[in-house]
Amino acid sequence: MPASISKDDIQTVYPRVAKAIAEALARDPAEVRVTSRLFADLEAESIDLLDIVFRLEREFNIQIPRGRIIEDARGDLPEDEFERNGVLTAPGLARLREYMSEVPAENFRAQMNLADVPALFTVETMCKIVIRAMRDGSA
Amino acid sequence: MLVRRRVAITGLGLVTPLGNSTATTWRALMAGRSGIAPIRGFDAGGYPVRIAAEVKDFEPRTQGAHHKLLKYAVRHAAFALSAAAEAIDDAGVGPCAETANRWGCVAGSGMMGVAFDELAQFQRRFASGGKLAAHALFDPATPAPDPIAYARNQANAGLALLVQRFGIRGYASSVHTACASGGQAIGQAMRLIRRGGADFVLAGGFDSMINPVGLAGFCMLGALSTDNDMPARASRPFDRSRNGFVLGEGAGFLVLEEWQAARRRGARIYAELAGDGNSLSSYRITDSHPSGDGPIQAMRWALADAGARPSEVGYINAHGTSTLMNDRSECAAVRSVFGPHAARVKVSSTKSLMGHLVSGAGAVEAAVCALAIHHSQLPVSANLDQPDPQCDLNFVREPAASCRVGIAMSNSFGFGGSNSCLIFRNPEDAAG
Repeated sequence: MPASISKDDIQTVYPRVAKAIAEALARDPAEVRVTSRLFADLEAESIDLLDIVFRLEREFNIQIPRGRIIEDARGDLPEDEFERNGVLTAPGLARLREYMSEVPAENFRAQMNLADVPALFTVETMCKIVIRAMRDGSA
Repeated sequence: MLVRRRVAITGLGLVTPLGNSTATTWRALMAGRSGIAPIRGFDAGGYPVRIAAEVKDFEPRTQGAHHKLLKYAVRHAAFALSAAAEAIDDAGVGPCAETANRWGCVAGSGMMGVAFDELAQFQRRFASGGKLAAHALFDPATPAPDPIAYARNQANAGLALLVQRFGIRGYASSVHTACASGGQAIGQAMRLIRRGGADFVLAGGFDSMINPVGLAGFCMLGALSTDNDMPARASRPFDRSRNGFVLGEGAGFLVLEEWQAARRRGARIYAELAGDGNSLSSYRITDSHPSGDGPIQAMRWALADAGARPSEVGYINAHGTSTLMNDRSECAAVRSVFGPHAARVKVSSTKSLMGHLVSGAGAVEAAVCALAIHHSQLPVSANLDQPDPQCDLNFVREPAASCRVGIAMSNSFGFGGSNSCLIFRNPEDAAG
């Protein structure tokens, strides 16, 4: 498992992450909070997520490979034990819930589609993605 | 007996080189003020043509959640969103839960799709050797290009934004027939209402080719006026000394509405959109037929469609580009269609002041015809000092105090041979 991310780590990148998200979604920066869900609260659509990633890559001079969250969450769990036909298994869901600890537990549903995972992303999720990418870059 | 559904124009919205609203554009037209000036949008030094009719001080008219749409809007799509918002405000009616399925959107758009800066950036980063390096583009270690650029540059992107912005759920279509696009879009929208496919249509056109590639293309075709030292006089349709058109940009939108419904809700009706004629010259790529063949048929069919006689037409907003060939051919066509009445019908080209808005031209000029009927005033054909002897029509050369228009006609002809003609009737003369 990757090294843990502290609240202080989050706060270090949060202002710039929030600004990029606010710009991508044309929201008032005051509306963007660390707990805001990109889709449900900030009305993102799937193409906006690509834009947010693009803006974060430029802002922090980092690379965020597609599908990175899923790969990291899966860790050493074999792929077919993590998901089957695009649906998360029970162990897969447990891994993801642990990995995305910033997302309220009740938002994870049994038999979730992998494709629905981005709908869970919060601003904090994006902060963690940035921090991990920065650590990768300096490793 | 089946009564033909008729079409009312109840809302107008404009973003033009003369102003960023209908009122400011109309005031500038009436004052004979030119929108043509040295190009400010990019450095045109080195081009034989360094003037254009640019939209100035443009601030998009969007608020709140709709603001995000601007991210997906190239310059002319942003013009379209603003002009359409004004048209819908002006009409006092817009799509709602009960009516969204009865709304359509038809727009003439983008003679050129991809924004030059984005192309150039892409080329520099991924095709510097002259060939697209796909492995570099998709290498996870290479910073990706802006993913939104692809969405922004799709040919139907503007139409998609309009439909989403206003919640239109009935029907949408784009028209790409070069300079005839805007006129044809409005004609198609009229037919859509007539045949019952919609009760309301947001119809118009939008374009901007004032960019390095667009300007270079028209320069290479030798189609543009090179009068860099006198921008306000550069566009002089029908004048003996004319030497090409001036590139413009902008958007025009009309709200079209089924006549009886518009009457029932007490809408202000600018004019009846009464006739639509289309023809194809099938002659040459950029030349118009010297005899006016093509435009002649479009005008005749539009008149027949409106049930109007040539002698009833009081005003023609000409295509009038200020190129040698168009203006002669169009005058020949008018003479052929109007016969002796050609000497009486008033003609002007508003491109003399606002340049040529390409795919947006026909829509903006349709709005001008509706306004001419509504205000009983005719816009002048500016800079017409010495008419070409082969362009011997009754041009509006001086502003007149008042001139009631019963029927107005608007012509739009495109490269590729598409000819569009629209007929507008004074609502006082439209029974019912």
